Amino acid sequence: MGRTFTQIAAVTMMNLRSIPDRLWTSLSTVIAVAMVTAVLLGFLALANGFQSTVQGSGSPDVAVMLRKGSGSELNSNLTREQSLLVEEAPGLARGADGKALVSPELYVVVDGIKKSSRTKANLPLRGLGVRANQVRSGIKISAGRMFTPGTNELVVGRAVSRQFEGFELGRKIRLAAQNWTVVGEFEAAGSVFESEIWADVAVLQGLYQRGSSVQSVRARLDSPASLEKLKAYSEADPRLKLDVQAERSFYAEQGKGMSDIILYLGWPLAIAMSFGALAGALNTMYASVDARMREIATLRAIGFGGTPAFVGTMVESLLLSAIGGVVGALATYLLFDGISAATLGSNFTQVVFALKMTPQLVVQGVVLALVIGFVGGVFPAWRAARVPLLAAFKEQ
Amino acid sequence: MSEALIQLKGVTKSYTRGKQSVPIFERLDMTIPQQDFVAIMGPSGSGKTTLLNLLGGIDKPTGGEIVFDAKRMDNLDESKLASFRAGNVGFIFQFYNLMPMLTAAQNVELPLLLTKLGPKARRERVNTALSIVGLSDRARHKPSELSGGQQQRVAIARAIVSDPKLLLCDEPTGDLDRETAGEILSMLQTLNRDLGKTIVMVTHDPEAARYAKRMLHLDKGHFSEKDLAA
Amino acid sequence: MTLIELVRKNLFRKPLRTILTVFAIFIAFAIFGVLATFQNAMNAGIDTAGADRLIVTNKINFTLQMPIAYVQRTRGVEGVKIVTHADWFGGYYQDPRIFFAAIAVEPASYLDIYPEYLLPPAQRQAFISDRTALLAGETVAKQFGWKVGDRIPLKSNIFQQKNGSDAWDFTLVGIIKGETARVDTNFVIFQYEYFKETRSFGGDTIGWMIVKTQSPKDNANVMKAVDVMFANSPFETETQTEQAFAKAFLEQAGDLGFIISAVVGAAFATILLIVGNTMMLTVRERTNEIAVMKTIGFTSQRIFGLVIGESLLLTVIGGALGLLVAWLLSFALQNATGGAFGPMTFTPGIAIWSVVLMAMLGLLTGLIPALRAMRINVVTALGRK
Repeated sequence: MGRTFTQIAAVTMMNLRSIPDRLWTSLSTVIAVAMVTAVLLGFLALANGFQSTVQGSGSPDVAVMLRKGSGSELNSNLTREQSLLVEEAPGLARGADGKALVSPELYVVVDGIKKSSRTKANLPLRGLGVRANQVRSGIKISAGRMFTPGTNELVVGRAVSRQFEGFELGRKIRLAAQNWTVVGEFEAAGSVFESEIWADVAVLQGLYQRGSSVQSVRARLDSPASLEKLKAYSEADPRLKLDVQAERSFYAEQGKGMSDIILYLGWPLAIAMSFGALAGALNTMYASVDARMREIATLRAIGFGGTPAFVGTMVESLLLSAIGGVVGALATYLLFDGISAATLGSNFTQVVFALKMTPQLVVQGVVLALVIGFVGGVFPAWRAARVPLLAAFKEQ
Repeated sequence: MSEALIQLKGVTKSYTRGKQSVPIFERLDMTIPQQDFVAIMGPSGSGKTTLLNLLGGIDKPTGGEIVFDAKRMDNLDESKLASFRAGNVGFIFQFYNLMPMLTAAQNVELPLLLTKLGPKARRERVNTALSIVGLSDRARHKPSELSGGQQQRVAIARAIVSDPKLLLCDEPTGDLDRETAGEILSMLQTLNRDLGKTIVMVTHDPEAARYAKRMLHLDKGHFSEKDLAA
Repeated sequence: MTLIELVRKNLFRKPLRTILTVFAIFIAFAIFGVLATFQNAMNAGIDTAGADRLIVTNKINFTLQMPIAYVQRTRGVEGVKIVTHADWFGGYYQDPRIFFAAIAVEPASYLDIYPEYLLPPAQRQAFISDRTALLAGETVAKQFGWKVGDRIPLKSNIFQQKNGSDAWDFTLVGIIKGETARVDTNFVIFQYEYFKETRSFGGDTIGWMIVKTQSPKDNANVMKAVDVMFANSPFETETQTEQAFAKAFLEQAGDLGFIISAVVGAAFATILLIVGNTMMLTVRERTNEIAVMKTIGFTSQRIFGLVIGESLLLTVIGGALGLLVAWLLSFALQNATGGAFGPMTFTPGIAIWSVVLMAMLGLLTGLIPALRAMRINVVTALGRK
C-alpha cells in the first residue's frame, strides 16, 4: 500500500513537472475551461441577481389585493368602494389613530430614457396612498425628502436615478404630460421598488382621469398569519372577491418566470460549450500521454504498476481544469459581479437589478470544470495505464 | 569522361554555433561527370552530409560557386531551389522517410503533384517507377505493411519518378541487413548503368562503396580519390 | 491523388484527435446557429417592418389610449395613404402562460396596411362581415390546433365585458399566413366594434394607429404633421417609423445583442484556442515529414497552403455539421417556444455568416502552425548537419 502510494506520488510529480513542456496546450485547456465556467456563471449571476431583486421585494406581513384574474398591478382595477371595504377587514395592523394601515395605489407606465442606450423604456409611476409609508417597511429616503401629498412632486428609486436620464434631485421632469419636481431619492434594500417612481395617488387619479378608482390595495397585516383572515373576509363579501396574496409570494411568483428563462438558456449553452472544451481537454491529455509514452513504458519496465500512470494523468487533467474553473469564476466575479442590468419585469416595466455571484454559484462553476477535467482525463489516463512495455524500446 | 553534371568551384561552407563559426569546407573543388556513380566515405564530422545538402540544393554555400548542368545554382532563391530539387534531384534517405498515411503508389506520386502532369500520366509514371524497383504488386500497401528493404525500394521509386538526372543517397543501406542492402545497391547500379542516372552516395560501409564506379574519401573538408574500377 | 486528397489524408491520420476537434468546432457553430436563429426571432419585427409604415402612440407611453376620432383626423394629413387602428386585448386561450398577441382592429384597413399577411379572399370577406369573427395567425392556429369554423373563447387579463365576464366568444373564420417565414404570425385579430361595444371600460378610445404613407419619402413630414396636430391636447401623440418602434420595444428587454455576442464570442475564442493548438501539435509532430516534402521540392508556400488547407477543411467539416444541427434545431425551437419570442427562422444570412466564420476560423487557426511549417529548416529538421 505504502509503496503504491510512493509510486503514485512520484509519477504524479513527473506529470505535473512536465506541464511546462506542453505549456500552450495546457494553457489552451485552462482557458477553454475558464470560458465555459465564465459563460455558465455569467448566466447564473444574471438569473440570481434578477431573482434576488424581485423576490427580496416582498414582505410577508404586507398583503397585496388585485382584481381577480388580473395577475399584475398594471392590469388590475379596484373601485373606491372596494378599497374602503378593505379598511374594515380583520387582521390588519392599525396606526396610532386606530385606522387600518392600507394604501390604495395606482400603477401607470411612463417613458424614461435609459442612460446606457439612450432609448425609451417603460418606467412604473406609482401613486401612493397617504399611509403607504407605514404599510411598507424598509424604505429609506436617502436624499431629499418625501413628496408633499397633493403636489406634483416625485421621489425616485435609487436604480431609476442611476439608470435613467433626468431624475437628479431637484430636477424638473416632464412625465405623463405634466411637469414634476424630483424632491427625493429612496432606497429599498435593492428591491424592485428602487426601479419605481412614486407620487401622490390622488394627483395621479386626477391626471389619468381615474376618478377615485385604484389598481391595487396594499395593507399591513398584524401578523403574517392574518393573511388567511383577510382572504376569508374578501371571499365572504361579493363586493370584494379580490386576489389576496402576501407581497412576498406575489413577487416570488414574478421573479421565477424570468430567471427560469435565463437558466433555461444558460445551462444548455454552458453544457454545449463544455463538450467543446472537453474535446480540447481530451486532445491535450492524449498529447500529454503520447509525449510521455516512452517515459511511462520505461517506468513500467523497471517495475512500476499501471495505477500510478493512471492517477498521474487524472491529477494533471483535474488540476488544469480546476485552475480553469477558478480563473473563470474569478473573471466572472471581477467582470460581472455587481454590474447593473435592466429588463422588462412582469408588469411590463423595467426592473433594474445587479448581477450577483454567490459562493454557491462558484461551486457550481467549479464542479462543471472538474467534470470536464474528469471526463477529459479518464480516457487518456486509461491509455496511459495500458502503455505497452515495448514502447520503451521503440525508436521515435 | 563525359561533360560535368555538377561542379563545385572554390566552395566554402561554415556553420555558426553560438558565436563561433565552424568551418566545414574551405575552397573545395569537385567535378561530378554525367552518369557517374560516386561513393563518398569519411569519418563522421568530415562534412559528407553537408556536401550532399549542397549538391542537392538543400543548403547554400557560404562562398564559391556550384554549377549544375552548366547553370549556377548557389545563388538561386528559396522557391527556385525548391523547383530545382523537384526537377533535377531525387533523394534517398537512410530511414526511407515515407509518408505513413499514403500507400506505396501515393508516396511515389508525391513529387509528381508538383508537376503539371494529369492523373493518367501520373499513374503511368508511378507504375513504371514501381515496376523498375520491382514493387508493382505492393502499390496499395502502406509503409507499415512493407519490410525495410521494400520501403527503401518505394523511396527509390519516389526518387526516380520525376526522372531527375541526379540521385543523392544518404546511407541508403544503413538500416538494412546485408542481403537486402546488396539488392538495393544493385538496383542503384542498374539505375546508373541502364537509365544513366548520376548517383552520389554517402556511406560509411566499404562494402556498399564497392558498388560505385569510384570512391572519394572526405576528411576534414578535403578529398582523396580512389577509383574503385581500378 | 491530388493535393486536396493529400490534405484530407493528413487530416485523418489521428482520427480520434480530428474527431474531437471537429466536435468542438461543431459545438461552436451549433451555438452560433441557434443563437442567430434566436436573434432572428427577436429581430423579426424590426427586419420585416414596412418602410412606409408609421406607428402613432400616446406620447406618455404606448400602453395608454387615445380617442378614436384621431383616426379620421389623421386620414386627412397630406402624404397619408391608409390609417388603421388597434387595441391590445391582453388575451389568452385557456392557459395564460402561452403568449400570443390578441388585437382588436378595424378589419378592412388593418388587412390592407399589412400586405405581408396572406389570406384567401373569402376568409377576408368573412372577417369583415362577421362581427364576432376571429382571424388567427398560422403560429397560433397551429399551437392550439384551431380549425376554421371553431368557436374560440378568449379571456383577457385587462378587460371585462359589461356583463362581468372576462371571456369573449369568437368564431375562427380564417388563418393568416406570413408572406415569408420571418413574418411573425403569433397573433389573433378581431373586430374593434364588437370589442368596444362589449367592454366595461375604455369607451371610444383606441390603443394605437398604424399609418401607411404614400412613400417612405413622406414619412418625416407625416410624423411631424400628426404630432403637431395633436399637440397640446390631453392625448398628445408620438409618431415613429414601425422599425424604430419595434427596435425600441425590443431594447426594453435589455441588451440581448450583447449577451448573444458575448456567448458566441466566448465559444469561438475557446474553439480558436482548441483548433489552433491541435494544428500546432500536428505540425510539430510532422516536422520530419514536412522537411522531407521540402527536400522533394515542395516550396515553402505550398507547405503553408497544405497546413492552412488542413485547418480550413477541419473548420468546414465541423462548421457544416454545426449548421446542419442548428438548422434542424430551429424547427424544434419554433415548436418548443410556440413562437412566443417571434418566428425562429434559419435564414440564408446565418449560413453566409457561418461560411465567413468558418473561413476566418480556418485561416486564423492555421496561420501560426502554417508559418511554423513553412519555416521548418530541412537541414536542421532532418538532423542533416
